[in-house]
Amino acid sequence: MTAVAPRLDTPDAPVSVPISTRLRRKPWKVAVVAVIVTAGLFWSLAPIYWMVTTSLKNPLEVTRLNPTLYPHALTGQNYGELFGQTLPFSSFLENSVVTSLVAAVIAVAISAFAGYSLSRGQWRLRGFTGQIILATRILPLVVLVGPLYLIFLKTHLLNTYYGLILGYTSFALPFGAWMMKGFIDAVPREIEEAARVDGYGRIGILFRVVLPLTLPGLFTTGAFVFMDAWNNLLYPLTLIDSLKMQTLPPGLLTSFTGQFKTDWGGMMAAACLTTIPLMAAFFAIQRYMVRGLTAGALAGQ
Amino acid sequence: MSSITLKGVEKHYGSTQVLFDCNLEIRDHEFMVIVGPSGSGKTTMLRIVAGLESVTGGEVYFGDRIVNNVDVGDRDVAMVFQNYGLYPHMSVYENMAFGLRRRKLPKPEIDRRVRDAAGMLGISEMLKRRPKQLSGGQRQRVALGRAIVRDPEVFLLDEPLSNLDAHLRVQMRAEILRVHRAVTATAVYVTHDQTEALTMGDRIVVMHEGRVQQVGPPEEPYDRPVNRFVAGFIGTPAMGFLECTLSREGDRAHVEGPGVRIELPPEAAAAVPLPGGSKVVAGVRPEHMDIVPAASVGQDVRSYVTGVVEVVEPLGSEQYVLVDVSGAKLTARTKRDSSIRPDQKVAFAVDGSVVHLFDTETEKAFL
Repeated sequence: MTAVAPRLDTPDAPVSVPISTRLRRKPWKVAVVAVIVTAGLFWSLAPIYWMVTTSLKNPLEVTRLNPTLYPHALTGQNYGELFGQTLPFSSFLENSVVTSLVAAVIAVAISAFAGYSLSRGQWRLRGFTGQIILATRILPLVVLVGPLYLIFLKTHLLNTYYGLILGYTSFALPFGAWMMKGFIDAVPREIEEAARVDGYGRIGILFRVVLPLTLPGLFTTGAFVFMDAWNNLLYPLTLIDSLKMQTLPPGLLTSFTGQFKTDWGGMMAAACLTTIPLMAAFFAIQRYMVRGLTAGALAGQ
Repeated sequence: MSSITLKGVEKHYGSTQVLFDCNLEIRDHEFMVIVGPSGSGKTTMLRIVAGLESVTGGEVYFGDRIVNNVDVGDRDVAMVFQNYGLYPHMSVYENMAFGLRRRKLPKPEIDRRVRDAAGMLGISEMLKRRPKQLSGGQRQRVALGRAIVRDPEVFLLDEPLSNLDAHLRVQMRAEILRVHRAVTATAVYVTHDQTEALTMGDRIVVMHEGRVQQVGPPEEPYDRPVNRFVAGFIGTPAMGFLECTLSREGDRAHVEGPGVRIELPPEAAAAVPLPGGSKVVAGVRPEHMDIVPAASVGQDVRSYVTGVVEVVEPLGSEQYVLVDVSGAKLTARTKRDSSIRPDQKVAFAVDGSVVHLFDTETEKAFL
């Protein structure tokens, strides 16, 4: 008999089944998943709901012994007072926006160069340097704040935007550099080599080829730095002592709590407004977020 | 235009050496194909010519100018990459114009060159598209176009057809040769596919384990392989090898082994500088074996190979018959014959004048 190669297109080849179909077959699994998802959503959304509803209640309703689930007398009073004469809320907002945005832009610019060098550079101890840079991230913020305070005291950077921006940027850089390295690692080397053959140098390739291809990475890194800076409580609390120069987190903490009374309605209204830029940044980059983190995770491969 | 010369080129990656004393001269306007199995160093050699890799030892010349320390961008080479290497964020037009802009050519000149190349390659309708909107063949054309608009001295191609299907590959082979004739640059083409090498190259370089094995016109490694590796690598199906003993009777000689007896013509017998009784390796190409009746072996047929059929692969009008000759595996290409079946004993007549003999130790060819 003549020997022939076996057929590869056998009829019993495995067929993939969509997840939804597989779940439909087991109702109890659907129920368990639904319960877990509902519990998770409640856990995450309940504080936000409470924050929003409290901000819309009047002071009397906020402090009632039996709390109300929703505002019985809807009011925008808390929001109005934020921009009144008594509180420098708009200064807090402005300080936060300026310092966080500038820190994000600077950190992204430096991270792009650092990430490119860590990814493509051919220099001794590149891997080791990368590890050391990442290791600095292990140090908790609170450990850094003491030395930073002393340095800024000597260099007259306390109570200035420059100091705060420098602090935010230096803390964000290790993570930013590694994140950009992950994104740049994902750019095929052949494309860069094609540009080298076309006559471009390292900087030309970075700006004309690599960075346009890692735009999602730049935005994701920028958003991470922005969120980090926006939420930072310790640095402004330590490095800034004038109320006018405070950013939102310490501003909210110190402006609404007094010795005898806490203005929960006002604090929640301020918290709502504080959250909006963060949520906007998050939704803008959520599509790239997982990709960005994955790229970073695979950087060593 | 430029010739390329490699003198004693060596390349190390840390403690691993990947190129050993490579000497090669590629003539002006020539289409040279570097062929070899994976890991033979052919791509490394191409990248060294391009300037994407530096040499650890030896010199690379373009014409009579040493280019060891000349940056890739200043070598006036254009390269087509295996995975095309197109810029995904640019249109086809921008991809092709990118290198010309770097050279600060006037805009009308860039436009003329891009449109000429696009016309030559049949991609004029696609100039506004992005690479992801193109098929594999179209992308390959864009990569070729990007190289030819530069009008380079040296044209380098790194396995450019390996991602295309068989039909498109044949089409693109002709396309590349047509482009080469049009641009007349010196071309170096790397492939692991010997069909591409044999059909495209003015000359071919066979590489193995970082060493240049043989350089010559395409038929030379097939007809006169310098060693056992080249003999086995060039030709499909591959040449079969038989461990034999050389016997001499006056000025006549033959080689024999279990199931094998091949008489050598007088000039071949004279070319082997070994006494009778020496061990040699005989190489037989599949197309040089003809099925004969077993009874004729030793009678009418003086040069033969006998063995047991292992597999028969029918291929339309002909078939490959894999035969076990006392442990050695030989493939014969014969006419379609349904009477040949696995486990059957068969005999093949072999033409002694086309048999290759190799030294058992050095593996170098005597014939």
